[in-house]
Amino acid sequence: MKVAELRMRWPAGHGGCPVSNVQPMHSFAPHSFAPPSWVIFLLVLACCVDVTTAHADKPPEFVRDVLPVLQARCVKCHGPQEQRGRLRLDSWPGLLRGGITGAVLTPGRSDLSALFGRLVSDDHATRMPFDESPLSADQITLIGRWIDQGAVSTVALTAPLETQPHWAYVAPVQAPLPAGGTQGDARSPLDSWIRHRLDTERLVAAPAAMPARVLRRVFLDLTGLPPSIAETDAFRLSWQPDAFERVVDRLLASPRYGEKWARSWLDLARYADSNGYQADQFRSVWPYRDWVIDALNADMPFDQFTVEQIAGDLLPAPTIEQQLATGFHRLTTCNVEAGVDPEENRVNQIIDRVNTTATVWLGSTIACSQCHDHKYDPFSQREYYQLFAYFNNTPLEVKGDGIQFDFVGPKLSLPLSSQNAARRSNYQDQLEQSQQRIKIRRRELLADIQSWETRQIKRLAMRPQFHPLHVESFTSQGGASHTLLADGSVLVGGTRPPVDVYTVTVRTELTGIRGFRLAALTDASLPGKGPGRHHPERPNFVLHEFTISAAACRDQATAQSVVLHSAQADFSQANFPVAGAIDGNPKTGWAIAPQFGKSHRATFLTREVVGNTQGTLLTFVMDQHHGASRTIGRFQLSAMTGDPATLHLPAEIITVLSGDRQTRTKMQQEQLEQYYLSEDAMLTKLKQRRSSIQQQLDKIQADSTLVMVEQETPRRTHILRRGNFLDPGAEVTAGTPRALHPMGSGLPANRLGLARWLASPENPLTARVTVNRWWAEIFGRGLVETSEDFGSQGEAPTHPELLDLLAREFVLGGWSAKRIHRRIVTSATYRQQSRVSVELLQRDPRNVWLARAPRFRLPAELIRDQALSIAGLLANNMGGPAVYPLQPDGIWRHVGRNAPKYNTSRGADRFRRGVYVVWRRSAPYPSFTSFDAPDRTSCTVRRSVTNTPLQALTLLNDPAYAEIALALAKRIVREAASVSLEKQLEYGFRLCLTRLPEPREVAYLVELFQTQRQRFITEPGRARDLLGSRDLSPAAAAELAGWFYVANVLLNLDELITKG
Amino acid sequence: MDAMHTIQNNLARRAFLRHTSAGIGSVALASLLAETAQSQLLHHAPRAKRVIFLHMVGAPSHLDLFDYKRQLQQLNGQLCPPSLLEGARFAFLRGHPRLLGTRYRFHRHGESGLEMSELLPHLSAVADEIAVIKTMRTEHFNHAPAQLFLHTGFGRFGRPTMGSWVNYGLGSENRDLPGFVVLITGLVGGAGNSMWGSGFLPTLHQGIEFRSQGDPVLFLSNPAGVSRSDRHQVVESINRLNAIQLEELGDPEIETRIRQYELAYRMQSSVPELMDISREPEHIQAMYGTRPGQVSFANNCLLARRLVERGVRFVQLCDQGWDHHGSVFESLPKKCKQVDQPIAALIQDLKQRGLLDETLVVWGTEFGRTPLLQSDRSRPGRDHHKEAYSVWMAGGGIKGGVTFGETDPLGYFPADNPVDVHDWHATILHLLGVDHEQLTYKYQGRQFRLTDVSGNVLSPLLA
Repeated sequence: MKVAELRMRWPAGHGGCPVSNVQPMHSFAPHSFAPPSWVIFLLVLACCVDVTTAHADKPPEFVRDVLPVLQARCVKCHGPQEQRGRLRLDSWPGLLRGGITGAVLTPGRSDLSALFGRLVSDDHATRMPFDESPLSADQITLIGRWIDQGAVSTVALTAPLETQPHWAYVAPVQAPLPAGGTQGDARSPLDSWIRHRLDTERLVAAPAAMPARVLRRVFLDLTGLPPSIAETDAFRLSWQPDAFERVVDRLLASPRYGEKWARSWLDLARYADSNGYQADQFRSVWPYRDWVIDALNADMPFDQFTVEQIAGDLLPAPTIEQQLATGFHRLTTCNVEAGVDPEENRVNQIIDRVNTTATVWLGSTIACSQCHDHKYDPFSQREYYQLFAYFNNTPLEVKGDGIQFDFVGPKLSLPLSSQNAARRSNYQDQLEQSQQRIKIRRRELLADIQSWETRQIKRLAMRPQFHPLHVESFTSQGGASHTLLADGSVLVGGTRPPVDVYTVTVRTELTGIRGFRLAALTDASLPGKGPGRHHPERPNFVLHEFTISAAACRDQATAQSVVLHSAQADFSQANFPVAGAIDGNPKTGWAIAPQFGKSHRATFLTREVVGNTQGTLLTFVMDQHHGASRTIGRFQLSAMTGDPATLHLPAEIITVLSGDRQTRTKMQQEQLEQYYLSEDAMLTKLKQRRSSIQQQLDKIQADSTLVMVEQETPRRTHILRRGNFLDPGAEVTAGTPRALHPMGSGLPANRLGLARWLASPENPLTARVTVNRWWAEIFGRGLVETSEDFGSQGEAPTHPELLDLLAREFVLGGWSAKRIHRRIVTSATYRQQSRVSVELLQRDPRNVWLARAPRFRLPAELIRDQALSIAGLLANNMGGPAVYPLQPDGIWRHVGRNAPKYNTSRGADRFRRGVYVVWRRSAPYPSFTSFDAPDRTSCTVRRSVTNTPLQALTLLNDPAYAEIALALAKRIVREAASVSLEKQLEYGFRLCLTRLPEPREVAYLVELFQTQRQRFITEPGRARDLLGSRDLSPAAAAELAGWFYVANVLLNLDELITKG
Repeated sequence: MDAMHTIQNNLARRAFLRHTSAGIGSVALASLLAETAQSQLLHHAPRAKRVIFLHMVGAPSHLDLFDYKRQLQQLNGQLCPPSLLEGARFAFLRGHPRLLGTRYRFHRHGESGLEMSELLPHLSAVADEIAVIKTMRTEHFNHAPAQLFLHTGFGRFGRPTMGSWVNYGLGSENRDLPGFVVLITGLVGGAGNSMWGSGFLPTLHQGIEFRSQGDPVLFLSNPAGVSRSDRHQVVESINRLNAIQLEELGDPEIETRIRQYELAYRMQSSVPELMDISREPEHIQAMYGTRPGQVSFANNCLLARRLVERGVRFVQLCDQGWDHHGSVFESLPKKCKQVDQPIAALIQDLKQRGLLDETLVVWGTEFGRTPLLQSDRSRPGRDHHKEAYSVWMAGGGIKGGVTFGETDPLGYFPADNPVDVHDWHATILHLLGVDHEQLTYKYQGRQFRLTDVSGNVLSPLLA
């Protein structure tokens, strides 16, 4: 008798209200007080109490009922290792013998039996278990009843129980099928065991479920997706006696099968895309996830599945797939924060590998013996480190310089996918063509170089000349003073206004002016030598606008502004190009950071030739308003005459051109050609094209994935005292626990040997633990409820013979998962109705005996997968890097360097199955977290199944689900266009729930649809907000909005997110 | 049958927190019952009903706030004693570092004369309410493991946080709000969501973040175009259809689902109302220094009060930005300015409402900072320090105006009374009426508890 499981729900309320207040119908009124949620707790609580009485007529039995309790709570002090008070409680003879104070058991009289009395004693000094929490009320009641009813043991009194190991460490045996156990439509030995137990519990198996419900159930169990309407119709109308089995076989062969079953394996493997801890950077290991899906789809025998993941790298001539399968144990978290000890990290990773291996394959809590011998199970600390030794030969996975650390460790480069190989060859072809065009263009151009040279030489004769201008007046708007220096430059001094406008006038006799030059010069008097006046460390300036006007000296009223173009400077600061100084835009300007302490020159060409024969008055205005005195400290102005065509020619090119062609060196010739070619716009464009193709090509990198490799020289392994990596004790060598089957002779003493030992048919645990997990995934609860713990502290199996039957079938049937899955889902037990009668709720509230099919909520990923599928959005492409579906802003905001960004996927990737969704350990996908997904920082065997208001909010409001609801609405409108409203609703209903709706269900939905449609007709603006589209007519928009609400309701139904 | 009767009485009297493999302990169940019943089911009478845990993420310097060391001041700038470096590991410090004293004046405050830095003028005014532990120590000097250790008592992933243990053990007093709420300013610390995770406890005990920007609770707002009355009709339709299934299938889980949809609908108005601090009176806003509509620690302090007022069991505030490797004397005053006034206001406000007696306010961080200089002397900073640091508690059951433990003359190691994180956990649970050795959860064959295999209640701090 155990306290019945209560499914967890939030929040925990309090108060007191009789159970009878629970009404079957709930009219919902927002402002009225509904009965609080704790009512449910009381209801279930009441059921728990009833469990005890329901079985009161069935006498407890020693081995089945009492011994497990004694083993769980008493044998630590009264067992094989210690016999305090000379009492031993793990054996029948020991119990009869009693201890130092005499007998402990008086059959028929719990009040005279110390075995009972010490459990309920009020005195702390005598109450057992000593100094620990007492046994549960149910356990105490059980032992009391067992004694009162005669202390029966069906095991022969002489059987030396003390030598009998824990059931789970004994190989499964084939028990003869039970007599009876044939009630109802039992189809297989599986059903026989279940029905046999129902007989003894005096329960009756439920009848078979309706075809639509069982079809949906098996689709969800095998593929995680619901059946289509066509598939449902085909099944309903089929008269073949094995129609169901045919469906099962089709589903087992579907690629969706591997995607569904990978989810739970990836929980065990703690599969995630990031390291965990501070920064929580990404790692590439998704090929491992794809390997799991492929292996499950191929029904890879589980022994091979095991060996390849634990030690694929050690197989002879391992294939790429066998190597990447070892990613399983590279999925441990890794800390790369400053100052981390790589060795400590490595030890932590190995501890995780040992513990995870023990949990996944042995259903064992060997983790307890990391610091000391296991208190309850037969594992010593020494044996823990013997297992540790198998994993101790891999390299460090953290490297650093003492401060900056990175996640490293072995990676495997994978061959290109066929798709990427095709893309690569396509780019290579393009690159080849591009190369060819460049060659041709070069040849064309070089054929013409002579005439270009001649032209340039001719122009050089008229090359520009710069004439320093002598400043006549200078004014600073900000009040700075100035000095005219001998070279004609102006040195600004005095006050340093934050912003300034310089106005400079100059008279010149020059004519034929084609441009001007502004030199910003350094000077010892300036902060940091200048040229700007800002700050000694940053003597920058920003010249926002440089304008010139020209007037004839005789008639200054003729002043006209000089239009400037083609600004060039020897240097411009990033984002402050010199062109900004003449673009008329006051926000842009010329600056020179970080080239401080140097003079800089800017040249501007004029559109018209400037210069009056009678003299010209030039007025220069220099607007510098960036602030904080970013103004020019010293400058010189020059006018330019001559042909500007050669202005841009670099000095060395001018040298080459001016020199004698005969004596030109080869290098000079090349220099000239390079320059000449660089002037050609078409060639430049061709080269740009080539480099962009090259970039695309470079992006096609082979994917890599994390793998295990063995070091050449093995490490020595020591027991770590109290689990502390700095405190090594005795040296140990690799070995497996003595309590389990022996290591096969001839197996190597490395990971491969361990892997083969785990997957050996002699292993009493691997097969049981594995089939039990599958059973739990299908029935919501394992035959051993504690599917992570098959030790003495775990629960005993409810149907031990059935567990062994399945385990044996698994091994003897070639370790085929699909065979076991088929066996389970084709059973009559699986195909029962899930209805919970009041009687059943009282007698077996947790459905331990399976007198009905289970009902429980789907896991997080499947809720989303199913919704996408129903809405017709689900993208079926498999594999590849993680995808990023819609999530709210501000979920990824963690401390650390270059933290990854969440870039929401576009297109089909937005709608792929949950198994492909990016898993960042510090912040997993939030709607998955709402539905109990773990963070995958450690091995998870059982997820919680909660029922919370946050789940309701997620399905009602998550923008991702709103998007899905809209798609479903559109699908209904599109695919059921020309039928009656009722038929349309029926169509939508069947898409979601497979079954046909009842008339009252249709009536509710009709009412909802019509009310909402009417509202949107009267308020057309709201429909546009809701649908995010303005293309629809008001009537069509109101119609679609109405369907949106229907879809919203359907996607939130308990039945939809429940497998029942 | 008499024996049976005895057992049941016995068990009722000797209430215990024990989890069964099925999932929930008797006190966890008890919290669902009337409040009066609950006190009987606790291990002892609780001194506090609720906790507000203020986690300064990144680790502020104890040497500049609570732990003044005269000798460190005298030796400021000198090379540190080499003995401190033997076998020591640091995150950043290398070579032979120099000692770094504080630049702040310390004064004694209140009747108790509790000593505090001038950086905390407001907190100084409530010095008589708080108890400072000066000898807290931890096992990890990296942020993420130390944060995990602080919250879960274990430096790696996978264990439940203190808030989730409390939520598991005691539940919420408010059926419309979660029992464990998290409020965040700045970035999330390196340990990520695991700072409020439930580890192996059922996920419903994990902390729920109430956010200052966007939806206050994820997915609380209706999608664009959906009005509250639409939402009402949708929820009503869902529940009507669910009720049909309940009638046909009889699964109580459907009943719960119906309740949760009703609750979700109520939360859509009650949570925004709760998070809207703009209606708090002017003098309260001024007291905390709140900035309604923005993300601020002061806002979160006021929200913390509003949450505990409504019966939320465990409120956790995480404020990031305390990791001062360089320029500690520029950054620390800025951070103190952000938190000093609102924390003091929180204590005063709880007190004036009569809530401080039953609300435990805990200020803590993942580790301390070295008395050794990090970075160059122009921008001095301090490295991570796990050997000794200061935390404080106030309110529910705490003796105010006391200090516990003294560090050595350099503020480096505890000179006496070292306090482990497990002791600190044990004390917090004790104040809540829970025996830390009895609050257990069976997982993988072992009865786990927050304090692992250690933990002693710090009785000198108890009022």
